[in-house]
Amino acid sequence: MKVTHKDFLMELKKSPGRFLSMLFIVALGVAFFSGIRASEPSMRVTGDAYFDGADLMDVKAVSTLGITGEDIQVFNEADTIEKAEGAYSADVLSDTKDDQFVLHMMTLPKNMNKVTVSKGRMPEKAGECLADEEMDYKIGDRIVVKSGTDDPLSDTLTTDTYTVVGIGNSPCYISFNRGSTTIGKGTIDGFLVVSEDTFALDTYTEACMQVKGTKTLTAYTDAYEKKVEKATDQIETLGKKRGRIRRQELVDEANDKIAKAEKKLEKGKKTSGEKLKKAEKKIKDGEKKLSAGKKELADGRQKLVNARKTLKAKEKELDQGEKEYRAGKAQLRAGRQKLKKGWSEYRANEAQYEQMSAQMAGIEAATSQLAEAKAKLEAGKKELEASEAKLTASERKLAKAKSKLKSGRKQIKNAYREILEQEKKLTKGEQEFTESEKKLEKAKASYKKGKKEAQEKIKKAEKKVSDAKKKVADIPKAKWYIADRNDLPEYTGYGENADRMRAIGKVFPVIFFLVAALISLTNMTRMVEEQRTQIGTMKALGYGKAAIASKYIGYALLASAIGSVMGFLIGEKIFPFIIIYAYGIMYLHIPEILIPYHWGYAAFASGVAVACTLLATIEACYRELGGTPAVLMRPPAPKIGRRVFLERIGFLWKHLSFTWKSTVRNLMRYKKRFFMTIFGIGGCMALMLVGFGLRDSIFEIADLQYSEIQYYDGSVYLKENLTEKEIDNLDDFLTKDSDVIRHMKAKMQSVTLAKGKKKRATYECVFGEPEDVRDYVHFRDRRSHTPYKLTDDGAIISEKTAKLLNAKAGDTIRIKDEENGDKKVKILKICENYMGHYLYLTPACYEKIYGEKLEYNCFLFTIRDGYSQKQKEDAGKKILARKEVLNVSYMHEIREQLDDMLKSLNLVIVVLIISAGMLAFVVLYNLNNINIAERQRELATLKVLGFYDQEVGAYVYRENLILTLIGAGVGIGIGRILHLFIIQTVEVDAAMFGRNINPPSYLYSFLFTVLFSIIINGVMYFKLRKIDMVESLKSVE
Amino acid sequence: MSAFVTLEDVKKSYHMGEVEILAAAGMDFTIEKGEFAVVVGPSGAGKTTVLNILGGMDTATSGNVWVDGENIATYKAKKLTAYRRDDIGFVFQFYNLIPNLTALENVELALQICKNPMDAREVLEEVGLGERTDNFPAQLSGGEQQRVSIARALAKNPKLLLCDEPTGALDYNTGKSILKLLQDTCRKKGMTVILITHNQAIAPMADRVIKIKNGKVAEIVENKNPVSVDTIEW
Repeated sequence: MKVTHKDFLMELKKSPGRFLSMLFIVALGVAFFSGIRASEPSMRVTGDAYFDGADLMDVKAVSTLGITGEDIQVFNEADTIEKAEGAYSADVLSDTKDDQFVLHMMTLPKNMNKVTVSKGRMPEKAGECLADEEMDYKIGDRIVVKSGTDDPLSDTLTTDTYTVVGIGNSPCYISFNRGSTTIGKGTIDGFLVVSEDTFALDTYTEACMQVKGTKTLTAYTDAYEKKVEKATDQIETLGKKRGRIRRQELVDEANDKIAKAEKKLEKGKKTSGEKLKKAEKKIKDGEKKLSAGKKELADGRQKLVNARKTLKAKEKELDQGEKEYRAGKAQLRAGRQKLKKGWSEYRANEAQYEQMSAQMAGIEAATSQLAEAKAKLEAGKKELEASEAKLTASERKLAKAKSKLKSGRKQIKNAYREILEQEKKLTKGEQEFTESEKKLEKAKASYKKGKKEAQEKIKKAEKKVSDAKKKVADIPKAKWYIADRNDLPEYTGYGENADRMRAIGKVFPVIFFLVAALISLTNMTRMVEEQRTQIGTMKALGYGKAAIASKYIGYALLASAIGSVMGFLIGEKIFPFIIIYAYGIMYLHIPEILIPYHWGYAAFASGVAVACTLLATIEACYRELGGTPAVLMRPPAPKIGRRVFLERIGFLWKHLSFTWKSTVRNLMRYKKRFFMTIFGIGGCMALMLVGFGLRDSIFEIADLQYSEIQYYDGSVYLKENLTEKEIDNLDDFLTKDSDVIRHMKAKMQSVTLAKGKKKRATYECVFGEPEDVRDYVHFRDRRSHTPYKLTDDGAIISEKTAKLLNAKAGDTIRIKDEENGDKKVKILKICENYMGHYLYLTPACYEKIYGEKLEYNCFLFTIRDGYSQKQKEDAGKKILARKEVLNVSYMHEIREQLDDMLKSLNLVIVVLIISAGMLAFVVLYNLNNINIAERQRELATLKVLGFYDQEVGAYVYRENLILTLIGAGVGIGIGRILHLFIIQTVEVDAAMFGRNINPPSYLYSFLFTVLFSIIINGVMYFKLRKIDMVESLKSVE
Repeated sequence: MSAFVTLEDVKKSYHMGEVEILAAAGMDFTIEKGEFAVVVGPSGAGKTTVLNILGGMDTATSGNVWVDGENIATYKAKKLTAYRRDDIGFVFQFYNLIPNLTALENVELALQICKNPMDAREVLEEVGLGERTDNFPAQLSGGEQQRVSIARALAKNPKLLLCDEPTGALDYNTGKSILKLLQDTCRKKGMTVILITHNQAIAPMADRVIKIKNGKVAEIVENKNPVSVDTIEW
């Protein structure tokens, strides 16, 4: 082994501390630099691996006319598309006990957007679903959904009840946000994966596509974006073509239907016409028949009347006969009586005669008289007998007439009966006739109705056809919406976070690295200077410059190379891991953290580290090697002590002890070391300050925004088109509501502000009662906290908005209005604001600007103090139950979202602080080490003079302390600038982070720096004690 | 006069790797109060070791070192520091002044920790630097620096003034004047001075010459009539 090599090894052995400290500081610098830098690509790689693993689509195309299998086929054949698949999705509502969820129901393409099932299984049939892991569904839960639009649910879905069979997460949703929708409250709460047969649609709602060649590319990179963009362009072109075809298809289909309908209509017309005709004929026939029947009936009636008439005549005759008979009978009776009288007269005569005969029997005179009387009697008897015979004959005649009468009566009776019967028959016939008539009437009516109906039907059908025809003409052109991954919720956010990491990585590690490089540089310079005697000896022995320098160069190379390799090997694993892990709080479902080595950063950091140290070494060697051996072998001429400014101030200087004097002069004497130490400590302090400051600025915004600037509790959004009375009703309700202390009408709407070419979407907020605004929003200047008042002369605009628009107070900006032309607004003041963009107006100002009446669309409200979040929400629910209310939003919800978002940055900041602390530690250690090594002789002298160890320590510490203090002071300055820079790079457009660093942060970073300083000094104390007076003061080698 | 400094069988060994080097292999000598003692010997004979032990900068491996009735060989580090602080004045070959302090301040630096100090300015005047009190070491010549160094040692009013080759880095004349200063100090103040040198030639100026060879006292010569430095030539 060459002696020079041995010397080299001995050097390492002799001072492992120096070698190691150099190695570590390089390692630390390189680790931090390459690690933080690598975080950004590692984040992208991690995201990409997850997306690739789940086969996340690159592009999603949606057509207003739906997407057919053929469309998919065409996309599949496109040369930029790897594969295309159709899928269904729909947004629905689901009511729960006290809330309403907006759910995104979707099917999965077979080979894309794979869902990670964390529990249960995938849905297999309609009525089953896999629920979003972020929601609280459990397996077995039943979800009932309803349509969020006027169309019935059955238009889209086959069932409205779904059983949760699995829980999982989708690569389409990497964070909490589920995107927005047009139904319900406007934001989607979660997704449900369902089987394809759940959907009752003819066409797919979307086409999911993967772009050829993107799988090998990393998401979020330009190469990826470019490829996707190209594909998007092609899809657009194809879409246009397919859209025309699809439209034609629909038109044809519709025309087909129309033609069919027309045919049917024609047929219908014909058949109905025929039917009507038949009916008409029937009715006519019926009418004829009826009229015949009517006549017949009338005839019958006539006949009957006639018959009755004859019958009556006959009866009359008969009556006459009877009368005659009765008269005859009475005559007869009178005859009989006469006869009877005759007979009784006769008998009396006879008796008289007998008596007379008897009396006269004696009397013949009387016998003639008696014979005469007898003859007379005989004649009378004969007469009587003749009249009796006559009577009997007429009696017989009469009896004959009676029987004749009787039969006549009977005949008449019979005839009457017949007539009655006939009449009955006739009546029945008449009845039948009326019925028939009625029937006919009915038939006529139904015919009429039928005719009308048929006509109407035909008319309707005709209208339908014509409508359909019109509709066909109105079938819109297919509109395609092509979305790449950037439209997935939070997808961009992840990329932005990576960008933010890059922003941090741009500045932060550079300082870190600079400090590290500076230290290793100092270290090497110091080493070369220390060994000047040896260098001189070597030179005297005849070694060449290169040979001598090679030792130091080798030393530096070895230390920095090993340090670099260690640094990036460890740093590129640890830092990205911690940072991605930190972001994992937000991106829960990215399962695996990938942290590949990024050789570019590794090579760059190592290269710079090695080069820096080497150059410093070479420079130091060059300087020393320039001297002659004789000069080199003598100790370097001590630096001339110099009076410092402080000495001019006599009274102060006199009061300083010598150690203090020495300290002050020392500081001034070694200017290089002074500045290096200051820069080193300052840098570390600055880094820590930035770390703490970032936390302040980022976390404070939620507090500032929602406790000091906007301190109302929420807003009540009104339904559209409410009448003024309805709004007043709600106003009254809110006034009476005991939960609400105050409320105010307001108008909130999104507008686009423009100034020059700059544009910015902004919330325009008009307060109903500008005098009371102070109770809701506090307008003030960020720096001076001067309060502003909203007046009718113009607008107050939020600070970030103004900055993005490059507008100042007094400027006039435009409110974009495509329809009615832009409106001009004068900015009166620019107010402190951290979240979102706002333009505040008074109603008068609004009306002046827009020239129309202001219509309020919301109420801002504040809940009574001391309410818990739950109580606040309950109060809100009460308001939401009102029919005028569309939605109630709470500020604390927004605040929570914000806090969630920022939480992930916390760990990143902790990493920064710890790293900065470590750096501070190493830097201080190195600087102290060098300080002591350089002044070993001086310190030994002090020891010989009898200074106690503490006193010697104090002598050194004093200097360190001052350096630390000055360094910290400088650090504050650097930190402020750095902080401001980083904050502005890290900031997103939607928010303004605080620009301030809180006093505690200054204190913490300062205390940490001092603490490190104290620890280091403690360690140094042992080193001081170890200084060997004898060895140190030995005549210089 | 009684012995002010007594060394009894003082041994000092160093371990250099596996080799044990005996720097002092049992030294015995005494020096009386107010004496100007010169320790001479070739390089590596162990003179500096003796001086370091005497000065409390190093401890003996064995043996006793009596200084003014105290055995400093038994002292622990802290006591040794106190001993250096209060009893010892040291003059180095390379002066070892604090470069950041002026001549006066360098002296005052020592006085600051001393119990019974002299006036710094006076001492500097005594060593002949009354005019240069406000100069920094780098602005002074080697001899002047050594004078400051001596002033610093003297100002503490030590019991013992130890000088390690004080003229080693100086030219002849300057060296001579420094030796004269030391001799005068010894004579005028009754200060016990022990001076190490490899220069045999200055032996005649000492009250006592201790010759050392190979870590042992080879010879002790008591010089009844020491001469002034002025008369010595080398």
